[in-house]
Amino acid sequence: MKAILHVIEYDFRNFFRYRWFVVGLIAMNLADLFISAIVFTQMTSIVNYFRFFAPGLAVVGLFASAFMIGREINMEVRREIHHYLLSLPMTRTELAVGRVLAGGLRGMLYMTPLLITNFLVLRFPTLPQLLLILLTLLLLAIGISGVSISIAVSTTSFEKFVTARGVVYYMLFFCSSVFYPLSVIQILAAQGLSPLVTFAQVNPLTNGSDLIRSFLLDPSEYVFSPLMILNVAVFSIIFAFLATFAYAKVLLRH
Amino acid sequence: MGLRKLWLVIERDLRMFIRYKFMLIMRGIWFVSQVALFGLVVNRMVQTAVAEVGINYFQYYVAGVTIITLYSTSMFIGYDIFEEAEHGVFEYLLTLPVSRRELVLGRSIGGGLRSFIYVGPLLIVVLLILGVSNPLYLIIALASLFLFAFGVSGMSITIAVAMKSGDKYDILIGVLDALIVRLSTTMYPTIYMQRAMPAYATVAGFNPLTYAADLFRWGTGVEGALQFNPLLGVLGLFTFFFAFTFVGVVFYERRLEGGGWQ
Repeated sequence: MKAILHVIEYDFRNFFRYRWFVVGLIAMNLADLFISAIVFTQMTSIVNYFRFFAPGLAVVGLFASAFMIGREINMEVRREIHHYLLSLPMTRTELAVGRVLAGGLRGMLYMTPLLITNFLVLRFPTLPQLLLILLTLLLLAIGISGVSISIAVSTTSFEKFVTARGVVYYMLFFCSSVFYPLSVIQILAAQGLSPLVTFAQVNPLTNGSDLIRSFLLDPSEYVFSPLMILNVAVFSIIFAFLATFAYAKVLLRH
Repeated sequence: MGLRKLWLVIERDLRMFIRYKFMLIMRGIWFVSQVALFGLVVNRMVQTAVAEVGINYFQYYVAGVTIITLYSTSMFIGYDIFEEAEHGVFEYLLTLPVSRRELVLGRSIGGGLRSFIYVGPLLIVVLLILGVSNPLYLIIALASLFLFAFGVSGMSITIAVAMKSGDKYDILIGVLDALIVRLSTTMYPTIYMQRAMPAYATVAGFNPLTYAADLFRWGTGVEGALQFNPLLGVLGLFTFFFAFTFVGVVFYERRLEGGGWQ
């Protein structure tokens, strides 16, 4: 456990090295909420878009920051910094688990101001609701960190990593209820795009953002279901294991 | 100023652009998913309201995404400059028998031209979707987009040399990108920005992305009427192009030497 904590600390120190990058990311996220979402609110009567999008924004921020660990690991593998990491007095599994957890925790840290913004502009949840939100988002962040590390160790160049990240990003975000309600996506089923609708329904980003909505928006419109947590947990477990396995294997191979 | 030397600089930047094949593929995927997923779904969400002001939102959005793609690929040149500085290629470029002015002007034109070449195939697809109502308007609009692309490249180069730090540049470009795209009419009509926050519409009125997007829509006939006189739009883009290409060249020349790159 101590070794894992050291790895997490190492990754947190790296995270703060990019503090201006993080400030830039937050500025972009807030511009999405306080410019685009406000304008879109004027354009649609289906939902109050500003209120609808705010929980989605927390998930966008979580994704962006939890994915940053992959960028660093890809760079380490290319520059062979992992030789140094292998020389440390810890097992490869401890190192891999530490990296996956650190990626997720960094995502949580970054997402916190965005979640607080949600509480301020929507409403404050009850304590059990808050704990459920944090648990689900932590699972989601660990899963995203796992996806990011799996891609980072499977790609040999930064360009390929960025391309793969783009594909994953667009698939996960555009086929989810982060930007638009699931009911609007469901219209696509009538146009022969039912696989996309199914994907959107099981998408962990859909479940994560809809879970926040169920506690912070009108509960009759966004109904909480324990399946949301289960869905995110399955995603998280699969990708956390995959990333741990892939990272440990790649360290051996190089 | 030797045109041949200028062309050599432009050609080099065009060749370098092809190296970014994965980045280019990613921008292509971004464009397709923006149009085929985001555009279609958001269109469902807003079409009733937007139809009231006489706009087909899907067409409106497709034209806007094209301009965003042109903008972001034109900004690439700044990253090239940092890579060259990092690998010491900058000093090599300074030893070439090309004047500073030719080098800078060539880079600015090369940056704009290569983004136009990249956007070309996407533009054809977009024109098939949108159709063309008046070829003369389209020619004027495309000429304006050339000015826009060169201007954005010049802006990217000016910021890169002013910063001389890859990290700072990356952050500033990220923030600028967030504001310049969102505070423009690429994604939504001015009338809704006005309703949401009049200050947003005011800022959008001075944004080159607004001029480029609205002129492109005017050229393809997406909107019945522009919010501004097309000549004013062309003039706005010309001013933007002039400021960042020629004034930027002078600034670049002064900052070019002396190292200090981080």
